[in-house]
Amino acid sequence: MGADVIEQVRSWLLARNPEVSAIGWDEDLIDSRLIDSLDFPQLLLLLEELAGRELELTPENVVAFRTLRGIRDRVLAASPGADAVSHE
Amino acid sequence: MDTTDVVETLDKLVADSTDHHYSPYTRFDWVDELAEEQWWMTPDLLTVAGTRHARELDEKVLMRLSKWESVNFFSLNIHGIRELLIEVTRRIHTRGFELPSEFFHRFLGEENGHMWFFAQFCLRYGGKIYPDKSLPVATAEEDAAVANFLVFARILVFEELVDHFNIRMGRDALLHPLIREVNQVHHDDEWRHIIMGRKLVGLLYEPLRERGDRELRERLDLYLRRYITASVQSLYNPTAYRDAGIPEAFAFREELLRDPARVAHHETFFKRVIRFLVSQEIITGSPFREAVT
Repeated sequence: MGADVIEQVRSWLLARNPEVSAIGWDEDLIDSRLIDSLDFPQLLLLLEELAGRELELTPENVVAFRTLRGIRDRVLAASPGADAVSHE
Repeated sequence: MDTTDVVETLDKLVADSTDHHYSPYTRFDWVDELAEEQWWMTPDLLTVAGTRHARELDEKVLMRLSKWESVNFFSLNIHGIRELLIEVTRRIHTRGFELPSEFFHRFLGEENGHMWFFAQFCLRYGGKIYPDKSLPVATAEEDAAVANFLVFARILVFEELVDHFNIRMGRDALLHPLIREVNQVHHDDEWRHIIMGRKLVGLLYEPLRERGDRELRERLDLYLRRYITASVQSLYNPTAYRDAGIPEAFAFREELLRDPARVAHHETFFKRVIRFLVSQEIITGSPFREAVT
């Protein structure tokens, strides 16, 4: 997964939070209120578009969606398999 | 607080629910299959309605889209019902909910039935239920009175949106009789839930209003207007577009959501509940007006 992909996620978050200038790799996106439950489905759809597949969301794996590092290393890096449905 | 009016309404709703009780499991004659090439949803309720795509896409594609948007609509119902079943079950026969608990029994029974027949429809004719996109562990509201109000306000917004679609589709002669019937049967129960929902939302908001906490009221106003917007966004599902054979589904969704022609449709979907929430001074106005400016 290219660095430009995670930068698209970062840019998307920054555009929604004009008062914020930087987001750390391990900053909790929910605790820091960069995203809340009402915005979350929009983030998930963006991630699915970038990953090129549907992403399964469970109480167990949701932690990976809460930081940019988790999104880069665990959400977007995962190859399509049992927990994902390819768009193709 | 005088609750005479609420008690009278509850008694009437419980009696009506008893009079119109039915088994969801035997209520419908499920056909073996529904042909893809037909209108599964009222064309004016599709997310492309009013946009150039409604004019430019081939009718076959629009019909296929109507199939997958109807599966998406019923899938959203399933996920919405799951939340309300959990939240109402959490509150039935607890302190503060003594009055509506008898009604809650009817409500939970009816909603369980609705969830079953919506799932039947999705699985029989779509082969799947679109997954829930909401955050599995939402941030908990620590103030119990605020949490109670928000739960029933969310349920009311959701039910009013769904009911608008059910009323339109329940009487749309373009649609297959089974599709009309599923929508009509849901509406026949849902009006009771909406009447009760309005009473409860009014009742639960009153103590919050009496606190005189302006910051709290502004927070609730903003949250509910954002919740209405999020509800309308959930109708635009890229997977449904892909299933209908529409390329570049995510960009297609973004384009539709930005299209000014859609604002009037969104206003219509939520007209009743926005009017109610504004009249109660719970929200300050329509979230869609801001989208235009």
